[in-house]
Amino acid sequence: MKISLKWLREFTDIPEMEPEELGKIFTLRTAEVEHVIDQKKSFENMVIGKVESVEKHPDADKLIVTKTNISDKTVQIVCGAPNVKENMLVPIALPGSYVRWHGEGDLIKLEKAKIRGVESFGMICAGEEIGLEPDPEGIVDLSHLNVEAGTPLAEALGMDDIIIDIDNKSLTHRPDLWGHYGIAREMAAIFKTELKPFKTNVSYPAADESELKIEVKNPDLCPRYTGVKITDVKIESSPKWLQQRLLSIGHGTYNNIVDATNLVMEELGQPLHAFDAAKIKGGIVVRRANKDEKMTALDGTETKLQNENLVIADYEKPVALAGIIGGEHSKVDESTTELILEAANFAPANVRRTSTELGIRTDSVQRFEKSLDPNLPSKAMDRLCELILKLCPGAKIVSTKKDVKNFDESPTLVTIDLNRINSKIGADVPKEQVIDILTRLEFSIIKNDSNLVSVEVPSFRATKDVSLEDDLTEEIARLYGYENIEPVLPDQPIKIPEENIERKLKHYARQILSKGLGFNEVYQYSFYGKQDIENCLLPEELHIKVDNYLSEDQTHMRISLIPNLLKVVGKNISFEDKINIYEIGHTYEDLQEYFPKEEKKICGIIAANAKKYRGTPFYEAKGALESLLSFYNFDDLELRKGESLCTYAHPNKYGAYYDKQGTEIARVFELHPLVAKKYNLDKVKIAAFEVNFTALAANGWADSNYEPVSKYPSITFDVSVVIDKQVEVGQIMDQIKKSDRELIKEIVLFDLYEGENIPVNKKSCAFTITLQANDRTLKDEEMKRIQQDIFDRLQKLGGEIRGLK
Amino acid sequence: MEKELNKLQKDALNDISVADSINILQDIEVKYIGRKGLINEILKGLKDLPDQEKKIIGPLSNKVKQEFISALEKKKNHLEAVEIEKQLKDEIFDITVPGNARPIGTIHPLSQIQFECENIFNQMGFAVMDGPEIESEYYNFEGLNIPADHPARDMQDTFFLSDKHEEKHGGLVLRTQTSPVQIRTMEKYGAPLRVIAPGRTFRNEATDASHEHTFNQIEGLMIDKNISLANLKGVMMEFLTRLFRKEVKVRFRPGYFPFVEPGLELDFSCLLCNGKGCSACKRTGWIEFMGCGMVHPNVLKAGGVNSNKYQGWAFGFGLERLAMMRYGIEDIRHFNSGDLRFLKQFKL
Repeated sequence: MKISLKWLREFTDIPEMEPEELGKIFTLRTAEVEHVIDQKKSFENMVIGKVESVEKHPDADKLIVTKTNISDKTVQIVCGAPNVKENMLVPIALPGSYVRWHGEGDLIKLEKAKIRGVESFGMICAGEEIGLEPDPEGIVDLSHLNVEAGTPLAEALGMDDIIIDIDNKSLTHRPDLWGHYGIAREMAAIFKTELKPFKTNVSYPAADESELKIEVKNPDLCPRYTGVKITDVKIESSPKWLQQRLLSIGHGTYNNIVDATNLVMEELGQPLHAFDAAKIKGGIVVRRANKDEKMTALDGTETKLQNENLVIADYEKPVALAGIIGGEHSKVDESTTELILEAANFAPANVRRTSTELGIRTDSVQRFEKSLDPNLPSKAMDRLCELILKLCPGAKIVSTKKDVKNFDESPTLVTIDLNRINSKIGADVPKEQVIDILTRLEFSIIKNDSNLVSVEVPSFRATKDVSLEDDLTEEIARLYGYENIEPVLPDQPIKIPEENIERKLKHYARQILSKGLGFNEVYQYSFYGKQDIENCLLPEELHIKVDNYLSEDQTHMRISLIPNLLKVVGKNISFEDKINIYEIGHTYEDLQEYFPKEEKKICGIIAANAKKYRGTPFYEAKGALESLLSFYNFDDLELRKGESLCTYAHPNKYGAYYDKQGTEIARVFELHPLVAKKYNLDKVKIAAFEVNFTALAANGWADSNYEPVSKYPSITFDVSVVIDKQVEVGQIMDQIKKSDRELIKEIVLFDLYEGENIPVNKKSCAFTITLQANDRTLKDEEMKRIQQDIFDRLQKLGGEIRGLK
Repeated sequence: MEKELNKLQKDALNDISVADSINILQDIEVKYIGRKGLINEILKGLKDLPDQEKKIIGPLSNKVKQEFISALEKKKNHLEAVEIEKQLKDEIFDITVPGNARPIGTIHPLSQIQFECENIFNQMGFAVMDGPEIESEYYNFEGLNIPADHPARDMQDTFFLSDKHEEKHGGLVLRTQTSPVQIRTMEKYGAPLRVIAPGRTFRNEATDASHEHTFNQIEGLMIDKNISLANLKGVMMEFLTRLFRKEVKVRFRPGYFPFVEPGLELDFSCLLCNGKGCSACKRTGWIEFMGCGMVHPNVLKAGGVNSNKYQGWAFGFGLERLAMMRYGIEDIRHFNSGDLRFLKQFKL
């Protein structure tokens, strides 16, 4: 919101200081000031120019070359805007001035320049380039100002003010600060200056001559409605002072009446409306809209209303959307001679809901939704009438001030405990200072003994904003000065905080995967699109949909990390032949309960350019997964084949690991070739593993099992067997293990071969077997016995032991 | 005879000491102890000597032979070492050829910085909490003192999820902040509390170089009997000083968040200019960092904590900003891009 310093100074004597400093102080005490604009400074080296001629640029289709008079001389300026015409008055930025190029980025100092070979002495500006309202046509047309060419722009616009631009969001809780008088009150409290009372001088006739009738049918939605009828008004342009005042804070100007309502709104924060009384049939009725009732709003929007929407109607139809916008039909225009003025208070939630539903956001909505003071309309009405009588000296107030009140006028009282307030602030604010701060903010002290102080909240702070001791703590703390609070570390707790095991294990997983196994961690979005669901053949019914998604590939909450990671592979494979990536993130499944099943997963992918890769990705992924799991002491997981429904996995190259309770902890697989094809990854070999980290972590983690190292030597020997392809290596290793569970310490597969020199349907496997006892040196016979037993077992499996004579 | 032997020894040792190659040394070996070597000849002639002389010359000549062998060995070792040293030095070897790469991966920069933050807070006695990313409207809004139709809802563009409704909880949303974990933690553990809750959060807004719809926050909550804003200042100053490994100052200014009262924004002194004002801090000397404040009594109530007995503060800050500042990352979208050329640069 833009605030004029000149205007503020009409209400209180803000000390002279650098504008930036003023902005900083307000930011530290009340609300965030985004910019402070010193108009004089920003319009330095800018003048009004009168366009004398417009010609085409000889060397550029979209440019024109103008001759523009700037009083003592005529200069040549190149311009790109289509709306520049002869005799138009335009803002000229001369060399040496600062402009914002196309309204974006930092200010740039203008120099004399050649544009496509044609000299240009400065530029003709669009609004956004020099901090004025942008004009959709391009260049700001200032012809209406009616000033001499060469007049300094600041003077022509009456802009010698300092504008304080406050972040609207930081005023969300302060309905009292949406007008200049409220800001002035705040400034007076900050600078300890006196706030001038807001006085108006207007009288209403004792007897009503207007027959103005006002009826409020839904008092809950309209706690107050004041109305006044004025006749004999003359609609014309506002005087210059009024225009300038509105322009300086970014308002457009329309006519004297509309401008007057805007001025009072900017002054007091109370939105107002003026109806053309001639177009109001009967009287004013504040009521809920009938279903499907229609109204064309002032901005041209055709609205179709619902019963929840509150309207201002005459006896026939809606004439305004309450608290939002007036109707086109009853608007004030050149032919208007009589007015019905409205100053009202509407229920904030309803205004906000209707505004959101209809997509109409106005200055009025912005104020009403913050919960305005219901005492304000009366004051604002007085001010508006006073102003209109000043602008139209012939006008007459013909009605009494109609006032329909339906709100609780009893004051809000809060009792505060100064000890508790100080303990929350962490400072010792003396009682006198507390009283002083509250009084300057217009809180009345009702009772003041010991540490308990009773305070009456002024009505302009009592709507939502202040009702608790905590609210007053804020008032006291901010004006005491947050910078005066000294930092103090709290005492250390006696108990050490509980450890978050799951988090700890998660950080371990990252260490193992990245630092141990060479994977790179990536982050991906939590959603993907319908296309991904189809590509990966995922069950759509398990997905939670995003209502207001941002793009078609972000419509469903992920139930698997795979789809987005496949896209990561696609992005990177063009510049890396081998990719090892993983993500740790949440998945969300709709199991028809209110809260979805949200689990943490780890998903790793090994992808390699098929042309340059000779390995078996499945075994790489399996090795990585088993290394990861080994850190969590999960030795007794059982690997099962093809028991789970995993739609994106190769049906045959898939295995899942189960714990003793039968919970699936992890799975490893190669990507289904059809899925790969959908992601244009058919020339990439891809295997993946997924770990249900929530289930993994639920098992906690165990300490390592230590066994003393045997003092006795170990014996190793190799066994090589040719065997049917169908016999799994796991089966063979099981048989070997069974030969002697105690003495066989390790079985390592060191060769697996199919092809030349081996019969079709057969494979050759070679193992190194290590034997060792903890209590003795093994004898040769023991080794021979085990060796023979292994041979027998493998032969029983149909194997032929190689190298056996 | 004795004299002869002494001379022979002297000659032999001299021969050894001047020898400068293994070959010469071999010749010397043959000359003295070869089959017809000078020392051997003497030993052979021993048997012809009279007994008395034998008793003297015998041991002496053996001693001469042993000393000769030992000197010869020593010299041989020395010459060999010199030889090998020379050979090694003459070998051509290029140490600038790149080493054989061992694959080592990287941890996402946001995980790294999150881990660091968790550690610092942990040391200050804060436990680490988790909460779901899909939240109910109750936990994300009402419980945090943001009723429906409250204009504060505009401050957080929300992703709404379809098809779910519950009396108390309303609909489901993607949490717009980590603050719901405040309520969940209070419900579960009661007061006093000293926790942080890091996690993923979402806002329905278009992405550009400085905006992401998916980002990460760390929520903090401290509740006890006398917890003050002064403590919040102290904790954050300590945290930032540790994180950036240099003295950092903080300041409060008013801010509005419905779940705290007073509501504050916390800025820290610009790391580049130490608060003097530069382009990084828009000449203010301060970097906007986080929203915070004293927990609103309605929020304590929603968490089942007695606000007459307990008080405390809460804060929430974004991790992306911290990481961007630390590494000078210019575009927030890199974090979720999955671009390995970006990610592989963060080694730690």
